[in-house]
Amino acid sequence: MADLSGCYHCGLPVPAGSTWQLEVLGAPRQFCCPGCHAVCQSIVDAGLASYYQHRSEPSANPQDLPKVISDELALLDRRDVQEDLVRHEGDSSECLLLVEGISCAACGWLIERHLRQVPGVSEANLNLSNHRLSLRWQASQAKLSQLISELRRIGYAAQPYQPDQAAQQLQQENRRALRQLGLAGLLWMQVMMASMATWPEFNIDLSADMHLILRWVSLFMTTPIVLYCCADFFRGALRDLRTRRLTMDVSVSLAIGVAYVAGIWTCFSGNGELYFDAVGMFAFFLLAGRYLERRARERTASKTAQLVNLLPASCLRLNASGASERVLLKELAVGDLLEVLPGSVVPADGVISQGQSSLDESLLTGEYLPVLRRNGETVHAGTLNVEGPLQIRVTALGDASRLSTIVRLLERAQSEKPRLAELADQVAQYFLISVLLLSAVVAYAWWQIEPERALWIVLAVLVATCPCALSLATPTALTTATGTLHGLGLLLTRGHVLETLGHINTVVLDKTGTLTEGKLSLREIRPLAALNPEQCRSLAAALEAHSEHPIARALGRGEQHADNVSNHPGLGLEGCVDGQILRIGQPAFVCALSGCAIPQVVQDSGQWLLLGNQRDPLAWFVLDDRLRSDALALIDTFRQRGWRCELLSGDSGPMVAELGQQLALDAALGGQTPAAKLAHVQALQQQDHKVLMLGDGVNDVPVLAAADISIAMGSATDLAKTSADAVLLSNRLDSLRHSLAVAQRTRTVIRQNLAWACLYNLLVLPFAAIGWVTPGWAALGMSISSLLVVLNALRLSHQPALKEQP
Amino acid sequence: MNALYYLIPIAIVLVIAAIWLFFWAVDSGQYDDLDGPAHSILFDDEDPAHTAAQKTAQSTDNNPKPND
Repeated sequence: MADLSGCYHCGLPVPAGSTWQLEVLGAPRQFCCPGCHAVCQSIVDAGLASYYQHRSEPSANPQDLPKVISDELALLDRRDVQEDLVRHEGDSSECLLLVEGISCAACGWLIERHLRQVPGVSEANLNLSNHRLSLRWQASQAKLSQLISELRRIGYAAQPYQPDQAAQQLQQENRRALRQLGLAGLLWMQVMMASMATWPEFNIDLSADMHLILRWVSLFMTTPIVLYCCADFFRGALRDLRTRRLTMDVSVSLAIGVAYVAGIWTCFSGNGELYFDAVGMFAFFLLAGRYLERRARERTASKTAQLVNLLPASCLRLNASGASERVLLKELAVGDLLEVLPGSVVPADGVISQGQSSLDESLLTGEYLPVLRRNGETVHAGTLNVEGPLQIRVTALGDASRLSTIVRLLERAQSEKPRLAELADQVAQYFLISVLLLSAVVAYAWWQIEPERALWIVLAVLVATCPCALSLATPTALTTATGTLHGLGLLLTRGHVLETLGHINTVVLDKTGTLTEGKLSLREIRPLAALNPEQCRSLAAALEAHSEHPIARALGRGEQHADNVSNHPGLGLEGCVDGQILRIGQPAFVCALSGCAIPQVVQDSGQWLLLGNQRDPLAWFVLDDRLRSDALALIDTFRQRGWRCELLSGDSGPMVAELGQQLALDAALGGQTPAAKLAHVQALQQQDHKVLMLGDGVNDVPVLAAADISIAMGSATDLAKTSADAVLLSNRLDSLRHSLAVAQRTRTVIRQNLAWACLYNLLVLPFAAIGWVTPGWAALGMSISSLLVVLNALRLSHQPALKEQP
Repeated sequence: MNALYYLIPIAIVLVIAAIWLFFWAVDSGQYDDLDGPAHSILFDDEDPAHTAAQKTAQSTDNNPKPND
């Protein structure tokens, strides 16, 4: 159940004096904002209020969802735009939407129910694991834009989604993996029944005829297992042999291949032993391990692989007569004149031809304060226009823009990323060499003693030592740990993270949004006149209520109302509250109103804003980007592990050095471009540092891709999340600390598993070598050792005791 | 023992049928979402409030709302 003290819809705190209220499920409920109120109202109106009973998580706040522009939605109804996205069959249309804002299973129910009652919609199915909604509707009764606005009304953002090649291939592979697993399971059971009857332990009065039939039946059913289900093992083994590496695949292929070929020989000759059930068991256990690992990875990957939307889908173009029309981004050409309204993202690189405004360039540079850009200056695609309307002339588009140079850096970094060999493969190498050597020795010895038994003894040795438990050791531990970490708020998107964490010795941190909260907050109010701080804040908040600037959010909400507010980009705001004219912003701008001298600034850290009226300055507001409360504890944890901590920031202000001192970091470098950051990390890697990178902005993206392990904050940009190895969903540095502990335990469990699997194989080897191991005993031993490995891995599913740490 | 001569072919046919069914289910995407269906049975589709709202929604669609 959602927390009752917060907003009934999204769970955020309700501001004092909020009047947004609605009766839901028989009780009055409070809301934090008109957005939540409206969403809840539509849900209740549709008779779907029981959504609130079923949900297990608070819903997403509608203000956090991407903004929708109604002209842009209307573009979606154009036939040429729909071409790639919507399939038409007569009147019925079909489309895949990517939905944002889904927090739990009840959301799926709500979306499906709500859309199915929209006239014209014949089908709405939401896939909860990847948040894709497949829709079918009658084009004559409903429009795509209308359906998307319906979703919006109940608090979800959606956009048409075109599965790319990679996503389609992934789906194919998933289905194939499941088919392989299912086939292996079904056939293995049959093979086991047939071949067990031929074992001497179970064989009571089997006639020679029946023996023959059962042999052939099990061969018939084992063949698909080997040829279809195990194809990937053989292919992997071939690939590894070509590169002269001995891996787990080689080892597994050898055991399966030899057991299968020997089984065929037995079928024809009628003597010897059948190991077909062992083949089935290997195949099933190994495929199960790999399938589980794949699912754990996929589940996490699909949630983060949202569309990388750095640029808006459409923009306003000014035609020759000066009228603006909304066009798709791909229709733009160099030289076009665009209008960029406050609050929207600049769609292309260009030069300002009219107007001035502050632009939030944090995406590209990491500077958290908007930068003032005037007529004739360059603006970059992907930056956010904060204050006033701008007209820009396009100079570079798509691949030529500054944003895409970052994407290219990212691709380069990814291809140069160093890979660490996996522990299991290292173990497999030694293991395989020793097994092969031993088999040779055993073969030679039996050749001297009893030549006709030699082949069967060697086969028993190979089957008994098949590294089934060994190859389950890592996947099971990784799968369980991935689940536990997800519960803690760390989402692993690449498989190597847990293993690589053990080698890390250097941490590189980003400042804005990672160590700090990435938004301005009010540190202090210093009144200069008779008013108390709260009165000053209320006046300032009333003025700033009209602005999109990050400063406005830092000042909070005020009860007073301001009229005639005008925005002077780069200077500040002017407006009228309760009959007195007020200004807030740059000291010189504010003092110009009253004609007083500019009051002294006491220290120089942070952003100082002055509030003044016509007579005198009223108060200083000191704003800065606050350090996260758990940053210090995280740095301490790093240092306890003996890791070197460095700060790399795109911000050139004095705060970088200050922070470096405050946290006692080993290095703190400011004013770094994405390329410089990348070069720095690569230089570290060349000096044998294994680097963990923690970052969030687009400017961190190349470094995230290059680092040995990269973790993106949950609030990070989409591109940063997709290029990182893990995402800190909870956005709390604390959960990273706990995750490190889980990772450590995982490595311990993997080692235990590997040790146990090797030990078992060592123990069984002498018995196989002296010819005591029959197919029945081999099957029993293998099941028990595999089961032990799995049970040991399951220990990781328990949440660690978090409370023991302060 | 003679029963085995019939039972073995029957078992093989059944296994092939089961495999065919399984492959069909996988390929038609029934295993693509393993989370959603687990929860969906918990929700009440026949909630009286919802059916009532659906009826009103349908009747208002026949007389379009002025603000549409």
